[in-house]
Amino acid sequence: MMKLEIHLYGRLRRFTDNPAPGKPSVINIDVPRGTTIREALEKAGVSMEEVGTNIFLNGRYSSLDRAIDDGGRLGVFPDDMNLLYKWHFTKE
Amino acid sequence: MEKLTAKTENLPDKYKNRGGRWLTDSYVCDEVDPNCHPLGPNNKLVFAPGMVTGTKAPSSGRISVGAKSPLTGGIKEANAGTPFAEQLVLLGYSAIVVEGVPKEKGKYWQLEIDKKGVNLNEAKTGIGDVLSKAYGELFKKHGKHVGIASIGSAGEQQLAAAGVCFNDIDGRATRYAGRGGLGAVMGSKGLKYIIVDDKGAKEVEIKDKNLFNKGRQKLAKALTTHDITKKGGTLNSYGTAALINVMNEAGGLPTRNFREGRFEGAEKVSGEAIKEACEKRGGAGMTGHPCHASCIIQCSNVYPYEDGTEHVSCIEYESDWAFGPNCGIDNLDHVAELVRLSNEYGLDTIEMGGTIAVAMDGGLAEFGDGEKAIEMMKEIHKGSPLGKILASGAVTTGKTLGVTRVPACKGQNMPAYEPRAVKGIGYVYATSTMGADHTSGYTIAPEILGVGGSADPLDIDKSALARGFMDTTAFLDSTGYCLFIAFAILDIPEGFDGMVESVNGVLGTSWTGDDVARIGKEITEMERAFNKAAGFTKHDDRMPEFMKLEKLPPHNEVWNVPDSELDKVFK
Repeated sequence: MMKLEIHLYGRLRRFTDNPAPGKPSVINIDVPRGTTIREALEKAGVSMEEVGTNIFLNGRYSSLDRAIDDGGRLGVFPDDMNLLYKWHFTKE
Repeated sequence: MEKLTAKTENLPDKYKNRGGRWLTDSYVCDEVDPNCHPLGPNNKLVFAPGMVTGTKAPSSGRISVGAKSPLTGGIKEANAGTPFAEQLVLLGYSAIVVEGVPKEKGKYWQLEIDKKGVNLNEAKTGIGDVLSKAYGELFKKHGKHVGIASIGSAGEQQLAAAGVCFNDIDGRATRYAGRGGLGAVMGSKGLKYIIVDDKGAKEVEIKDKNLFNKGRQKLAKALTTHDITKKGGTLNSYGTAALINVMNEAGGLPTRNFREGRFEGAEKVSGEAIKEACEKRGGAGMTGHPCHASCIIQCSNVYPYEDGTEHVSCIEYESDWAFGPNCGIDNLDHVAELVRLSNEYGLDTIEMGGTIAVAMDGGLAEFGDGEKAIEMMKEIHKGSPLGKILASGAVTTGKTLGVTRVPACKGQNMPAYEPRAVKGIGYVYATSTMGADHTSGYTIAPEILGVGGSADPLDIDKSALARGFMDTTAFLDSTGYCLFIAFAILDIPEGFDGMVESVNGVLGTSWTGDDVARIGKEITEMERAFNKAAGFTKHDDRMPEFMKLEKLPPHNEVWNVPDSELDKVFK
């Protein structure tokens, strides 16, 4: 198992103990090695329909299908907080 | 200004169809000696609204200001969104060119423009005052409907971090052509205000109304459907400061004078926190505020004091970051006060945040000490020696204090993206004609991917990408459209077509997407030629040494792009 620290933003904060901005909204979970970001978010109880395109695993821009090798920090923004250009990304 | 006269003349034929940055560049390149002193009699200060400014095209109310920069020593163009831009076009003006310096020092003048013509008079109010007071007096005298361009006390002192201030839609002195010290150039010319009164002005001539309407509607549709620019979308809801949390997650939010890429207090000064304060404190606080009437993105805000009264407009991403994370400050009210003081004194928030961070690194205050940062800012308005050093920018302050960690290119402090974590923006910072400037080529996204990702930072394509962005941006800066339309038009092809059609409709041209790239390239090459004549070589297209030596957490990356790769950008 790996430790994963999920930082949620915007309206996704409501899936954590701290729904208000101004301090981190975090879910700590343990997931098996090789779990994808999508699977981890589902396990954490985050509504997948509301997840946007800005997803960062340990600071790297990532897709929902990226497998997590070594835990760490996952940052996820909702679909009304998309900010980065989409058109020439190939996500990890 | 030498003879203290003002006159109107026809736009030279060779400048036909040029606007914004293309037009300010044209005047500067044709008429300014590249080796002149930026604050001397041979520099010229040029104002030019964009090609479609003043029309019903969405988000098109921008004006460019150009000159040789006292901060970089090269060519400079900075632009702002303001009703002033639209009013100038409605009065029939393509540009204002300010020449010479007055013989008499210590006096200031104001240029008044209305449908009857132009007049240069002595400016008697607001000298040495904060800009909110100065603008208040002018609106009282000339009417609330006029547009005002001006300098603050920093510009009067001819300091290189001074910007040119324009009024916003509600008459605040808050919209800046901020970067590169253009306010100091205006100060050197003794020009305190330009006041435009468009009462009785005609509508803008549009050569092909059908094409224009078709184009602007396509563009408006793209802007109102794209996630980032639509009503209730990212920019409208959270403002540009939505980027604070995003860049922090990406590990590319410069923290404590570019020592780290992630700030533990980021959430406290984020776009979400601004929105929450506006909602909780109520009163004057609002997000989704427009900087000029034609804007449909509306990404500005009005930040309230705790009691709901107005504190400042606008806390945008760059200003928020500059005074917040970059100074280690996590108190949003302190950030708001620092932005307010910048606006009141007529300063560039990016350069000033960068300068205070360098001053903190040099031991003048602890990182995170907002109260001390506010005290330092106040020195500028007092005109004290410390204030004059600080308002000369980060490089001068770094030299004065013996700081080696000065994140600047061509003398201009870097904005809010860490080039060690976001490699491609580093190409732009290093090679831009403007000095370190994110708006000259916003290559952020693929570069975030570039952090150890599949986009190899050494890949030759990165230099092509940086070049492509810089050229397209140069064209957009000439249209009068806000750079933020790029989000929508680069994602939605019909939006891009609509942008080009709207320009063709106004001008009667038949440009295509290829012409956008061609004209953009022509503009950046013209700027490169000016800088070359001013003495710039490839050795000026370089990153500061400390970035090659110091690893940036959390990615623990140095700037590892060889100089030879930077030289490929403009090959």
